[in-house]
Amino acid sequence: MLSGTASVDEFMPDAATMADFATQACALPGAQVLQLMFETAVSGRQTSLPAGLHPTNPPSMVVQAWHCPESPWGEFSLAMARVQCRSGLRPRGFVQGCVVDNADAAIALGARWGFPARVGTVVLDVGYHDTHLVVEVEGARVLDVRALDPIPLGNEDVAFSTTLTLAHTPRGPRLVQVDTDLVCDRAERLVACTPALDIEAFGLHRSIVVRHPVSASLSRGTLTLQPLRYVCRPDELAFTGTESTSD
Amino acid sequence: MPARGGLVTLRVVKFGIFFEMSTPRPFTPEVEGAVLHNALAQARLADELGFDWVWAVEHHFLEEYSHCSAPEVVLAAVATQTERIRIGHGAVVCVPEMNHPVRVAERCATLDLLSHGRLEVGTARSSTWTELGGFGVDPDQTKKTWDEFVHVLPKLWADGATSYDGHSFSMPERNVLPKPLQKPHPPMWVTVTSPGTELDAADRGLGCLGVAAAGYAEQERRTQEYFRRIEQCDPVSSVVTKEVTTLNFLYCHEDAAVAAKTGMGMVGTFGLANSHLMWTREAYPTRAYQSLGNLAPKTDRSATGSPGDRFGIPEGICVGDPDIIVAALKRWEALGLTGINFLLNCVETIPQEQVLESMRLFAREVMPHFRDSSNEAGA
Repeated sequence: MLSGTASVDEFMPDAATMADFATQACALPGAQVLQLMFETAVSGRQTSLPAGLHPTNPPSMVVQAWHCPESPWGEFSLAMARVQCRSGLRPRGFVQGCVVDNADAAIALGARWGFPARVGTVVLDVGYHDTHLVVEVEGARVLDVRALDPIPLGNEDVAFSTTLTLAHTPRGPRLVQVDTDLVCDRAERLVACTPALDIEAFGLHRSIVVRHPVSASLSRGTLTLQPLRYVCRPDELAFTGTESTSD
Repeated sequence: MPARGGLVTLRVVKFGIFFEMSTPRPFTPEVEGAVLHNALAQARLADELGFDWVWAVEHHFLEEYSHCSAPEVVLAAVATQTERIRIGHGAVVCVPEMNHPVRVAERCATLDLLSHGRLEVGTARSSTWTELGGFGVDPDQTKKTWDEFVHVLPKLWADGATSYDGHSFSMPERNVLPKPLQKPHPPMWVTVTSPGTELDAADRGLGCLGVAAAGYAEQERRTQEYFRRIEQCDPVSSVVTKEVTTLNFLYCHEDAAVAAKTGMGMVGTFGLANSHLMWTREAYPTRAYQSLGNLAPKTDRSATGSPGDRFGIPEGICVGDPDIIVAALKRWEALGLTGINFLLNCVETIPQEQVLESMRLFAREVMPHFRDSSNEAGA
């Protein structure tokens, strides 16, 4: 199986710092979750991942945006870009860029779950037939994408692969497995449009080239960030590089 | 079929070999050619040893996992190099972007003629986004097009000049040629990956070609339900194929420890390759693909387990010495299965000579335990 060839050091400048893994569950009721999937160029499939992760075939990227009206840090919106991959046998999304519009939330998401969160503007505008996501950092627009023509799905029809963040931890750089549950009460599939995306400004690896949109979904429900259970050495395959947070 | 002691016997449970043509990197013509020629040698040996089927899948773009994109070509070679084993086209992907139904009918009829009436036709709709996306297929449509194909193919084989005006294709009056040797047409099957597809098979009078690893309890439930439903089926033609098979791995060695070490390496490699496929559900939210295929862990929140987990060994795996394999197969047989198909290798992790020796040992020491004694001469 192919695995990544990027140096871990390439990802560390933007990585969050975690003092420990003693994170409690956090429920985010009334959340809206927009997920957009894109195929990316084969040329970047290994160069955009560290050696501990395997690329997908075809290589792909997911943009996920959350609007959370209630949280311990108040209302916030988040947008993250994840390179889809495998950690061992498991489907995962490796977060390479994350923008949050609430400074307290950004700090907490970084310190407790390892999100490489930067403060910026995230606007998730959900309309009747057009959902529009705009992300800006330091006044510059890094993502502008639309998803159109929603059709209803069953509440279990949208699959969310588990999130991986890469953080500075007391054990050194670690991929942090962020388990999120979404108890969904409404789901729709939409048609994803081609994004206006500044790859590097958003935090994605420079070798990633977006080819075409695959799908989009919009889900609503209670999103819960679960306590951390596993971390992995980023430069070692998961079969030998996985550690329990309680070790 | 030949058996020990020269008796002519029939088995209740049949055995097949199943080709994915998984291929190690680098994908050079030498490597890809060796995989194909090794498979042909396995098919010839299976024919000699008394295996009942040789199946070849249809997959596209699945690096390492399966390079079997032109199974009808592989099976044409098998047909001309064997004499009695049944030829399993398992399965033709029944979406028009990949295979026009007329071309499917033509190719299958030709294979049936070349094999002197030994063809079995599997049908499927593909499970991965890698394939569906590669051909621009709308995942919401594949169940419909599969259903249309399985209803129209018998007409194309059995009737003379035929016209058709349907959902996924239409054609003016034409005579699809050649016609198959088996009349009215070869037996038809459905590959069953997702739970519930066995009912689609039963309702249409089609064989249930299991390609996902179900445990004993789940397989028993599926098998019982299939046989119950097929009694009330509305068959797609006058041919009802009342069969349920499952997919297994085979590595047989006199020394159980050697078998486990070698065979489980193959099983683990297959599990890893399989889990790295991009299943449709992962890429494209739809009601039409409710589960991930084959052996992959779920993407959903129910399976956010440790990434350090190794591939879980499925129940009843046929890796071991002959006694272990006989015990496993007896248990499968007791569930009412009519056949078991075996993967023999994965990305060539097992040297070819060891694969062939495993097949010989299986035929010598395991197959005789599954003879139907009521059919033995003098019984």
